[in-house]
Amino acid sequence: MPKLDAAGAVILVTMLMPAGFANRGEGWEDAGLQVALLEDDDVPEKIAVWMLMISSGMSIMPLRNLQLQPSVFPLKAAQSIPAFSCLVMLEKMIIPWTVGIHAGARIDVKKNVIITISSDKGLCGGINSTSVKMSKALYKLTSGPEKETKYVVLGEKGKVQLVRDSKKNIELSITEIQKNPLNYTQVSVLADEILKNVEFDALRIVFNKFHSVVAFVPTVSTILSPEVVEKESEAGGKVGELDSYEIEGGETKAEILQNLAEFQFSCVMFNAVLENACSELGARMSAMDSSSRNAGEMLDRLTLTYNRTRQASITTELTEIISGASALTG
Amino acid sequence: MASSAAVPFWRAAGMTYITYSNICASLVRTCLKEPYRAEAAAREKVHFAIAKWAEGKPEKPSYFNTMFMYSTYLFVGRFKKLVDRKQLS
Repeated sequence: MPKLDAAGAVILVTMLMPAGFANRGEGWEDAGLQVALLEDDDVPEKIAVWMLMISSGMSIMPLRNLQLQPSVFPLKAAQSIPAFSCLVMLEKMIIPWTVGIHAGARIDVKKNVIITISSDKGLCGGINSTSVKMSKALYKLTSGPEKETKYVVLGEKGKVQLVRDSKKNIELSITEIQKNPLNYTQVSVLADEILKNVEFDALRIVFNKFHSVVAFVPTVSTILSPEVVEKESEAGGKVGELDSYEIEGGETKAEILQNLAEFQFSCVMFNAVLENACSELGARMSAMDSSSRNAGEMLDRLTLTYNRTRQASITTELTEIISGASALTG
Repeated sequence: MASSAAVPFWRAAGMTYITYSNICASLVRTCLKEPYRAEAAAREKVHFAIAKWAEGKPEKPSYFNTMFMYSTYLFVGRFKKLVDRKQLS
């Protein structure tokens, strides 16, 4: 089954929708597309698989075949975000385009920027550590002679961990994202800031994808800069399928793709931030649950020990008194 | 030499597509009628703090919030002013 990448899907929808409707659901209908809102019962397994593979690019972990059951997005907010809903019917759209964009994960470039998404608040289990570990592994993978890799960190917890040994490589750090409920505007302004401040050939976004309430998959999404896309499409391979589309209007593909690349980045970023937020909430839930359970068990064990000790000391006192009394009378 | 004739006005002024679409979106939001307008306003809130790092040390973070965002957009053509405003927290 072809993998529908958020990157490619978003590019497709951008082409079809009038500019400026980036944030509103109405734009999708205007373009003649049908918005399918996800209801838990209606989701056929196939669509659920699409949804959950939305931003899968490269996964450093050995690729187990992700057999996903229809899984539920617990956050009500996630269900109403247009970006998620629209990607559903894109399953029927042109696949080669998306495959071409999706293949960006394995391309080797000179300037990599690793965007690590983590949380501001703690008590959420191990997800921040796994994100940071994956970022460091990615750093090692992408470093080499003449290559440059930098970090952009979102969230306090990730920053604290990265500062310990990769201080010199951090380019930007961003905090206090979760003050207001997440919306696209915030993430797009953030993406804009990142684009303005960082030079890159490829952006690799590391985040935790929500698999289920107890399982989170660290994933990497890749965005290529337009120049790299152009170079790679000429070189052939997966991205070369981009050449089967006529691009009008400019002399180089890079000019036309500039808008799409920016929008793609902002949407993929939004997806990543949402998934990470979901994972954080799920991880916090399970961490708190397991710690409450452990504390309860410890409490039970200690209560038993306490009672036994108390009874033993009472018994000792009683026997002493009784034996003393019987020694007097007897 | 690449043709600059086809460059749209906002790109020539230094905006990215993201900035442009955000401005359009906020204009659309102000066109809404009352109950929907309040809901849409909730989707416009922005708040984060961004700090640039140099030589392993963070510089003073600058804050972004909703009002600040629009004031920078108003000065689209004047880049220097944009940069100066960013220094304000």
